[in-house]
Amino acid sequence: MIAKIVCYALQGLEGVPVEVETDASKGIPGYEMVGLPDAAVKESKERVRSAIKNSGLLFPLGKITVNFAPADIRKEGAAFDLAVAVSLLKASEQLVGAHTEDTVFLGELALDGAVRPIAGLLPILISAKGHGYTRFIVPAGNAKEAAYLGGAEIYPVRSLAETVAFLLGSAQIAPVAPKKFVPHLHAGQGADLKYVKGQPVARRALEIAVAGGHNLLLVGPPGTGKTMLARCLPTVMPDLSFEEALEITKIHSVAGTLGEDGIVSDRPSRTPHHTATTVAMCGGGNRVVRPGEISLAHGGVLFLDELPEYKRSTLEALRQPLEDGKITVSRAGGTFTFPARFMLCASMNPCPCGNYGSADKVCTCSPAEIRRYRRKISGPLLDRIDLQVEVDNVPYAALASDERQESSAAVRERVNVARAIQNVRFEESGMRTNAEMGERELSSFCRLSAEGEDILRAAFERMKLSARARSRILKVARTIADLAASEDILPAHVYEAVSYRLGDSLE
Amino acid sequence: MSACSQEARLLVWLAACAPADERARARIAQLCAQGIPRKELEKICLAVIETAQNRVYKGGIAEIEREGEEYLARLAAKGFFAVTLASADYPEALRAIPDPPIALFCAGRRELLGMRKFCIVGARLLPAWAQAAGKAIAGELSRTFAVVTGIAEGGDRAAVDGALPSGNLVCVLPCGPDVDYPAAHAALRREIAKRALLVSEYPLGMRAQKFSFHARNRILAGLSQGVLVLAAGEKSGTLITADRALAYGREVFALPHNAGAAQGVGCNALIKQGAYLCTGAQDIFDAFGMQYEGMPAPSLTPQEERMLAALRLAGEEHAAALAQRLGLPVWEAQAALASLELKGLAVRAGGNQYTAISRR
Repeated sequence: MIAKIVCYALQGLEGVPVEVETDASKGIPGYEMVGLPDAAVKESKERVRSAIKNSGLLFPLGKITVNFAPADIRKEGAAFDLAVAVSLLKASEQLVGAHTEDTVFLGELALDGAVRPIAGLLPILISAKGHGYTRFIVPAGNAKEAAYLGGAEIYPVRSLAETVAFLLGSAQIAPVAPKKFVPHLHAGQGADLKYVKGQPVARRALEIAVAGGHNLLLVGPPGTGKTMLARCLPTVMPDLSFEEALEITKIHSVAGTLGEDGIVSDRPSRTPHHTATTVAMCGGGNRVVRPGEISLAHGGVLFLDELPEYKRSTLEALRQPLEDGKITVSRAGGTFTFPARFMLCASMNPCPCGNYGSADKVCTCSPAEIRRYRRKISGPLLDRIDLQVEVDNVPYAALASDERQESSAAVRERVNVARAIQNVRFEESGMRTNAEMGERELSSFCRLSAEGEDILRAAFERMKLSARARSRILKVARTIADLAASEDILPAHVYEAVSYRLGDSLE
Repeated sequence: MSACSQEARLLVWLAACAPADERARARIAQLCAQGIPRKELEKICLAVIETAQNRVYKGGIAEIEREGEEYLARLAAKGFFAVTLASADYPEALRAIPDPPIALFCAGRRELLGMRKFCIVGARLLPAWAQAAGKAIAGELSRTFAVVTGIAEGGDRAAVDGALPSGNLVCVLPCGPDVDYPAAHAALRREIAKRALLVSEYPLGMRAQKFSFHARNRILAGLSQGVLVLAAGEKSGTLITADRALAYGREVFALPHNAGAAQGVGCNALIKQGAYLCTGAQDIFDAFGMQYEGMPAPSLTPQEERMLAALRLAGEEHAAALAQRLGLPVWEAQAALASLELKGLAVRAGGNQYTAISRR
């Protein structure tokens, strides 16, 4: 008899239906798998054999052929185990009368018949639902993740025996109850701006950066709290919407970095080490392509500590995703596009010895050394970082003693207001933030008064600003005006924007 | 170049062949001061050049002259010209020092040789305020003087930045006039050759050497009526320039620094020894008894006035501390400080620290 069971394979972030066909017939005993399975799928032969035996079921004798259709896509991983086992049982007529049609089976099997969770369940469920499937058998370990799908019957199973009993109707399994999405499950834990002492200048820059979606470069001596500030960035960003959360969860599910909650409710913050390779950063892999750090930071913050220490090629690879908000990775196994709309926050020392501009230490670097150090970051990359701010190590004990530090939530309120203004502004253009403005938008939304133009001209002449610095300053000035709920960009806004022009004076 | 005298051809070739021969230099200078007796000059040139080239000139002085002519053509092809002790426009101030360069290889505005000159130098590492002050002073001096300096980082750069816009700038190199030193300033060297005056006593292609920096400093001082030292450590090379200026009877000025600041020890020592204390261009004009009306004061908003007053009171201060003092949110303070910086009244010293710049 031939049995057909539906399973799903992952291609990038999309699920692709795969039919597992099993033929068990009389003949010389044998067990073959065809249809472009990779090593891990072929190994499922042995797992499935043991799992069936150890679940008190019968492994059929005779000639068994398992085919994965369509045969032209390569199948990876162990998520097919459950589907193979069920189809084997069905082919050997051990599941007579069971309801297996229109059902998607997902799960990895242990030798004792237990069902193990798999990576990438949510993207598969979302794709399968789009293809019209509404009945799923999934590992109990993935139940939390599955709960956010809604509009489908999802049965969590612990073992193969339980699955068989359920399919034969001798046992009941409660379907996963749909869960409502709550942003910020972990609010109040971890980083918060209220723990950052002092740093009023950097705090302000942080607020502007998030409000306008600008990328941020923190320059300062070691030990001044650059990393701490960067950790606070996600906490200041607007709450995730369910759609955004789902998108982010898909990526993390595929990468297998999804936590206990089954959904990403906080904006992600990724801090790859500076030894990270370009592939680790952008995504890749031998056959199965996995999302890289920039995709894992989608919707959140990518923090690059000690920016000049990263490999130049790795940094240059960030330029296109910074522009497009996505990355396309091409490999032998196919071409995949992952979303990568992240906010870049980078930090660096001001000079090789780290003490340039320090209040209490002496910098021993020559101007040429400092320039060489800063030149490690290419102009085109700096071009995409609108805000460059110095973080200093002035002791603020006296300053801060009577002052209560503002919490992330309070800053977030203001950010939300500024974002709302931008949403109205960009309603028709499909943009979201000021940072995404092009030349056309700059000329229509960032018109300056005569006085404002004079200031910019003076800045150009005095500070030898590059032409590209002009749009950078204009965008930041627009965000500052939005934070002040001002329709026009006032001279004070331009002046403040000019004061974040550090990188240009460095060149 | 055909108008070039026989002496000029000899001297150019001599300078090109034996750039470091101080004895020859001294003797030639002596001869030139006496009105150049031709026979003597020819004898010395033949001896020095034969030694330097390590060969015998069978054609005698005529052959040397021909080679000198060729060298002048090479210079001209690269856009340089030569000014020798025999030239009428050789700077008089430089002629007056004990060992003037036999020839100067130049590019750019030849008329600057005849202008009054003032030298601004400073260590390569100098505080941001000194850099800004140097730039401001160079800018104001360049309306009356040609500003003389080197082409290195730091103090030299401040003087170049200040004076280059007006074009009244003379840069003296410690290497051949076509050599980029430091390499990072290659574009700057070409810019100066185009808009101002580039000067070197060394022949084409000669690299900077230890002795050539010292020798160059004597030209800096020799060309100028006065020398301003922006910053100098205890053993800074800029002190050699100041020392030469004293020896040649030129005025020496120095910016005062914080007591104990390593980058200012040399300046403060100069002031102790009697150098003029200089806080702005006015001090220099006063010392030369020159009339000077300052730049028009920029207009400031009341808030900027308060900020400037607070900044002057504090010396060097952090933006946040200034905001606290004036009761402003930090971003308004940042805006006011950026405005002061644009108007040339304040300078960012790194790490969000700001300093006021003297306008007088």
